[in-house]
Amino acid sequence: MASFKKTQIRSLPKIGQKVTADTLYWRKLNFPVTVKEFGPIDYIDVMPIEPYFIAVSSAAKVQIYNPITHQVHRHFTRFKEAAYGASIRSDGKLVIAGCDEGHVKLFDIGSKSLLRIFKGHKGPVHRCKFTTDNVHVVSFSDDKSVALWDLPSETEIIKFSEHSDYVRAGCVSSISSDLFLSGSFDHTVKLYDARSPTGSTISVDHGSPVESVLMYPSNSIFVSVGGTELRVWDMLAGGRLLARVSQHHKTITCLHLASDGKRLVTGGLDRHAKIYDVQSYQVVHTLDFPSPVLSLGITPDDFTVVAGMANGLISMQHRQTQAEARALNPKQSLKVQKKSQTAYRFRLNADFRSVNRTFNPATDVEVATKTDTNFVSRYDMFLRKFQYSKALDTVLTPYIRKKKPAITVGVMHELIRRNGLKSALAGRDDSSLSSILTFLARNINDPSHANIIIQVANTLLEIYESSSLTPQSEKLFLQLQEHVNREVEYVKHLMEIEGMLHILLASTTTQARRSSTYVVQGSPVKPMLPSAAAAANATMIFNVG
Amino acid sequence: MVKMANKKTRGPDKTQANTSDIVVKKLDDATDIVRQPPVFTNDSKYICIASGRQIGIYSVESADKVHSLEEHTFDVIGLAIKDDNILLSCDASGETIEWNINNGTTLKKAPLVVAGIKEFHSFHYPGNGKVLVATPSTYTTNMSSLWIVDSHTRPRKLFADIKSTPHSIAFGCNQGNGSLVVVALQDHSVVVKDITNGVDKKHMTDQRKFTCVALHSEKLIMATGDISGRILIWHDFVHKSRPVKTVYHWHTLPVNSVCFSSEGEYLYSGGSEKVMVKWRLGMSRKQFLPRMGSSIKYIVNAPDNICVATSHSDNAIRFIDSTNKINRAIIGLVKHDPIRGFADTEPIKESVMPTGLVFDPRSHGIFFNAQAGFLQLFDPQKNSLIFNMDVANRNVLTDERNLVIGNAEVLRVAVSPTGEWLATLEVWSNMSAGYHDMNLKFWRYDAVQANYELNTDVTMPHQDRVTALCFQPGLLGTEMPCLVSIGRDLKFKIWRLVDDTDIYRQKESWSCDVAGDFRKLTPSALSFSEDGSLMAIAFQDTVTLWDPTSINLNTTLSHTLVQEPIELMEFGRDNCFRYLVCASKSALYAWDVISQGLVWKVGQLHSSVRCLVPDPKSCYMAAVLQNSEVFVFSPSSSKPVHSVPKMNSSEPIAALFVPRPNPLASGPEWLINSRLLIVDDQQEFLCVDDVSSAGFNQKLTTPISHMDSLPWTPFSAMKAEKQISAAKQLVPVVHQTSGIQGYKSVQSLLETSASALPPMSRICSLFMSDLMIKHGPKAVTAKVNSVDRTSTDLPLSNGHIDSKTQDFSEETTLQKLLTLDCQWLVETVK
Repeated sequence: MASFKKTQIRSLPKIGQKVTADTLYWRKLNFPVTVKEFGPIDYIDVMPIEPYFIAVSSAAKVQIYNPITHQVHRHFTRFKEAAYGASIRSDGKLVIAGCDEGHVKLFDIGSKSLLRIFKGHKGPVHRCKFTTDNVHVVSFSDDKSVALWDLPSETEIIKFSEHSDYVRAGCVSSISSDLFLSGSFDHTVKLYDARSPTGSTISVDHGSPVESVLMYPSNSIFVSVGGTELRVWDMLAGGRLLARVSQHHKTITCLHLASDGKRLVTGGLDRHAKIYDVQSYQVVHTLDFPSPVLSLGITPDDFTVVAGMANGLISMQHRQTQAEARALNPKQSLKVQKKSQTAYRFRLNADFRSVNRTFNPATDVEVATKTDTNFVSRYDMFLRKFQYSKALDTVLTPYIRKKKPAITVGVMHELIRRNGLKSALAGRDDSSLSSILTFLARNINDPSHANIIIQVANTLLEIYESSSLTPQSEKLFLQLQEHVNREVEYVKHLMEIEGMLHILLASTTTQARRSSTYVVQGSPVKPMLPSAAAAANATMIFNVG
Repeated sequence: MVKMANKKTRGPDKTQANTSDIVVKKLDDATDIVRQPPVFTNDSKYICIASGRQIGIYSVESADKVHSLEEHTFDVIGLAIKDDNILLSCDASGETIEWNINNGTTLKKAPLVVAGIKEFHSFHYPGNGKVLVATPSTYTTNMSSLWIVDSHTRPRKLFADIKSTPHSIAFGCNQGNGSLVVVALQDHSVVVKDITNGVDKKHMTDQRKFTCVALHSEKLIMATGDISGRILIWHDFVHKSRPVKTVYHWHTLPVNSVCFSSEGEYLYSGGSEKVMVKWRLGMSRKQFLPRMGSSIKYIVNAPDNICVATSHSDNAIRFIDSTNKINRAIIGLVKHDPIRGFADTEPIKESVMPTGLVFDPRSHGIFFNAQAGFLQLFDPQKNSLIFNMDVANRNVLTDERNLVIGNAEVLRVAVSPTGEWLATLEVWSNMSAGYHDMNLKFWRYDAVQANYELNTDVTMPHQDRVTALCFQPGLLGTEMPCLVSIGRDLKFKIWRLVDDTDIYRQKESWSCDVAGDFRKLTPSALSFSEDGSLMAIAFQDTVTLWDPTSINLNTTLSHTLVQEPIELMEFGRDNCFRYLVCASKSALYAWDVISQGLVWKVGQLHSSVRCLVPDPKSCYMAAVLQNSEVFVFSPSSSKPVHSVPKMNSSEPIAALFVPRPNPLASGPEWLINSRLLIVDDQQEFLCVDDVSSAGFNQKLTTPISHMDSLPWTPFSAMKAEKQISAAKQLVPVVHQTSGIQGYKSVQSLLETSASALPPMSRICSLFMSDLMIKHGPKAVTAKVNSVDRTSTDLPLSNGHIDSKTQDFSEETTLQKLLTLDCQWLVETVK
């Protein structure tokens, strides 16, 4: 005996944002904790090792925050004017920061003491970085130069002055201590090798002032942002442009890698942070902030996302822990808990109260075989019994007909197939008739269900055209008519617009043809090779000529 | 032997094939097993089933075939168990054979002699050497006369003008005196005869026609079913002229079969509702077994009363155990019930087997219709059903008494060239409601699960009936497959597999890429060239050639000589790739797509061409006419290489060339690698094959003898006599169909006025390179048939690879009728 096949409910996919693994992942960030600073947040750097301290440079100080307590752990204020681009060494012991007077200052985080001052730049230093070997420092200055310093001897090793405008972006390679990258307001991004002091090895044109650059951990690709564009460059191919992504509508200011280098995050003045997949450069999620984002920091475990904004706000968001999630949404967590519970599947044979011997799970526990409860919905039950009116009644309850109209339409479709629609619709009283009529009026404009709804409406009219109706039902029939009329008007409008578009399209194609003719005539170099578009009517072209 | 075969296949057999070697065979194994009711053996361990000329003995426990008894030369009309292990069978010519059930051997053969009658309808064996046979009635057609044949006395006619179905005759014993009681059905009455006592009775009820009758095994109780679904139980009907009747009425449709259980406590009945009802006699209780899959034809009870077998119209016999559950089934090749409501408006093919035969390159099986909404895959080599697949996935709906309720039917099937994709089109339409529903489904074969998975379901792919579906052949594995559908809404649509991949999941689905039409004409036929580079769509009498990748109209072909709408169209294969064979109602003709001329035409056919099938392994093509004539021809010429005269009264529905596993040792070229399979309107399979090949039972492997020259050692046994690698280098075939090399350059040079031409030094190299024949590694040289090419005035070059497909200017109709020869057909027939 073949089992009864369920009625097919044809549900179309919903248009709109899909819930993906990434949106779920990034949605788990808690409500942000905000701290107000006095000036715009210039730069945020995250300590690469635990406890993931966050160095924030704003106005004339550098502060190191504890990401868990949100408290200031250390702050360094030995700057006359603004401090820029504080960056923590990979071992988490030293911090370096540039400043307006053109110095680069090195502090010990533990003792707060100023250890070194690298003097030599003539303009403010906006970014500075430790190289991978931890004994060199690279600084990027507004005097259009990039300098490499020796940390122990406090001396300048090499200086590149190739840029023609402020250098406001820079990063170092994570593999080689000799490679570093600079981005400047002169639209170029340059790659330097300290071993070749003659000049930059790669120089690429970004097309707008470069705000931030980033080198992938593999060191084969680097990314630059500036203007509203993100550009991806192939380092191994000598600076070949791999991708151009423009997802922000205002200047992109900062760049960060997240999720172990699988996601790229950009923040911009449009108050958004976009998260990209690094393979396809598709945006997988967007984070919103209250004011323009100037700097971003994400801890390596994605636990904390810190954003610095133009109005001096620092927002710190934590990832929800399981306990928090449970506390926030007790209903859902209960459901999850229930699902994972296996207690019902087991039954103890031994009576608990009288157990006085050792418990043997092999013999005392009886595992109930999982019975596949083949759930049959009510309408299927009635359809199976050929009770068509009742089946239709069950899907006309307010909940189903409003929230899940696909089910109602699916059952109506099945009734049409079974030739039982007439008997299901006939002999209805006022209230049930009104529920059908309101359903039809509501859904007759839906193109995905229209053909079935129209069929049902026709049958309904056929049945009730001669019977006397109450004023209420009559009103509803008129309402249905009005809906249909409106839809007809609407479709007429659309067809008019389509016709106009056809005219436009037709005129453009003829113009394109004429212009291609012109090109063929105007280029005497290759008269024998018409373009692909012109090839179709090649004979015509030559006749014109 | 092997060497010879290879030589033959390599060099085409030029000699005219001896046509007498080619025979048309009927495939017996594929016949249905439900034409006659099955018979249980006395110990209920085996069940005997008649299928055509064969009798199969199956184990009830496992539903496996134990013996196949093949001695009859005509269709078996009745089976009976004579003794504990002796089976008695009778065929339509009256020959009776006794078989030993245990070992399947023949015990005795004897002809039935009944007043010189040569044809028999049904056969029953009440016991004691008496035999009941039904013969055609002398006066009325479709009626039978019932005779009793005894070894001692002359055959005696019991009844005249009774119904000829197997279920209209029943026999039993009169308990009172042990005499034989025979009952038979006439349209509105039941006739009863007590043989020993000579009592005759005729019972009538009302105007409802009887359909089936059964007798209780112990008591004198008779059950009859009628067309209104009513079952009557008659008590003491032999002696009383107005017997007491009990009415059991549950069925709404005619009762097809009634059967008493062996102990007589229950009555089973079944009909087209697909429900078996188990009545308890004398009580109002009844049990149902619903959704049995297909309408019930016969119900047979096992003597031990444990098992009931039901024969269904989908060619299956199902066993129902005592808990009222189906636990086993013997399934044969399913016959498709003709679609009702189609018969009057559509050709017969559309209602009997709308999908036709579709070859599956993956399994080497054939797809065609099973029961409504199902599709079956049949293995022609092993002659067995591979699987039966539910395409519609809907509950099977049954008719109501005065209302035909249709089910979803699979109308079109297409298989991708690699066999990975299966496209099915199912249609459900309600003529009375004026509503129809159409679904185009794409299934992907999952090699791990070994089944097809639904990938995409498109609702209403066309606004009207879809005429044809075809996958683009010749694509490499890396390219996305492509399907073309044409419909009566005047559109053709191109469906492509779209990679819906976002970063989260690999997901592919099919979507409509292009929808096009041509001058608001109805597309009627569709064909791809073998390499997939050219798509031909016939719009009434015009053939349009399209480039499938860019959907540019390359050219249109039409001619004043051929103005009937094209019904069938196929590209030639192999070295006839340039020919496009079209069939209209009364003519068959071929276009040359390179020179764009009509090559030949055969007009005034005896009847219309029903199928046009190309052989995938050679250049030949077969045309099957409606009157079952078959012509095999090469598309390059109108002369057939073989023709099969009219076979019998049956009408062909579909045909297919099925590749052979091993090439034939000798025979005409078109038969070496494949054979032609034809299905007629009774859904019987016919095979046009060489007489030397053993048909469907041929061995799949050719024995290889060891070399005689070497002494036989264990090592010599390891060395193969001949090493053949079956792995073929896959070289995509590309046909040059884009016209004449450099023709365009020459023409443009000539058409441009001399004053407008650039300096000769500039264009010279370009012009020369256009004229050059570029030899690629995959070049295929087209054989230019000198016979057909005599009168072309254009310089024809050999085929070559050209990276840039040249577009024809629209509407070039270089109509050149080269040979016009319509006489061969008339001659061959007469």
